[in-house]
Amino acid sequence: MFEPFVDVVPSFFGWLNQGPLTLTIFLHTVIVLPMFWIYKQEKARLEREK
Amino acid sequence: MANKSVWSDNRFWQRSATWVTGFASVLLIWLTFDTSAQISMGDDADLKNGVTKRVPGPTVINYKITYEMDAKRGHEVPVIGEKEKFFGRDDYSEEEAGALLHLGKLGSQAKNCMDCHTLLGNGAYYAPDLTKSWLDPAWGPEGSMQSMTGKDTKEEAMAEFLQHPSQYPTHARMMPNLGITAAEAKGLVAFLKHMSSIDTNGFPRNFGKIQGAVHGK
Repeated sequence: MFEPFVDVVPSFFGWLNQGPLTLTIFLHTVIVLPMFWIYKQEKARLEREK
Repeated sequence: MANKSVWSDNRFWQRSATWVTGFASVLLIWLTFDTSAQISMGDDADLKNGVTKRVPGPTVINYKITYEMDAKRGHEVPVIGEKEKFFGRDDYSEEEAGALLHLGKLGSQAKNCMDCHTLLGNGAYYAPDLTKSWLDPAWGPEGSMQSMTGKDTKEEAMAEFLQHPSQYPTHARMMPNLGITAAEAKGLVAFLKHMSSIDTNGFPRNFGKIQGAVHGK
């Protein structure tokens, strides 16, 4: 499942490109996690305005 | 007013879209600079000092290039070895080698190699991929192509073939005569030799399976 990273020039994008899951997990993490935070903020704002 | 859901709230979607767009933009700009750094061409000093670059400098035509299996990376990589004569010389300066590669590149565009061939994966699928053609054993000392042209070296055989392709029955799909001059052919062979030294992460995938392509095996 985990293969050693053996690109010529180690790079963040090389790491991201190792397989389909690395990119998927990375993108879901950076897109969805901040959305939870935005969701909570907006919920608090709506409750304040009510 | 009844309880308003966050999911039907405009601001939530606006902020989410802003985040995704902004993050993707930053990532793509970073990727652009990261790629430029990785594909920048090396120079003569890199070759002399053994600095590995994905795209070696033009003077790589002064060296022998082999294709070796890299067990760690799981595919073949071009290895730049000792000096090797290219059209009788192994002392091309950076300017001379650069001019030769430039001539070859312009020639490949003028004669539209990509009309039939692929170069580094770009082009048409009518004729063989030329990315690693320099390493093809058919052009080597015991290869059928070299013996067919009657030349003693790989570069002379390739240059001869490029000047008179229609004389040599190679393939069901024969290459037409494109009016390539001797000087252009030399440039094109230099261009092909340099291209074969580019580390393409094992592309094209099955080239190493050609008999004799990898380390003479």
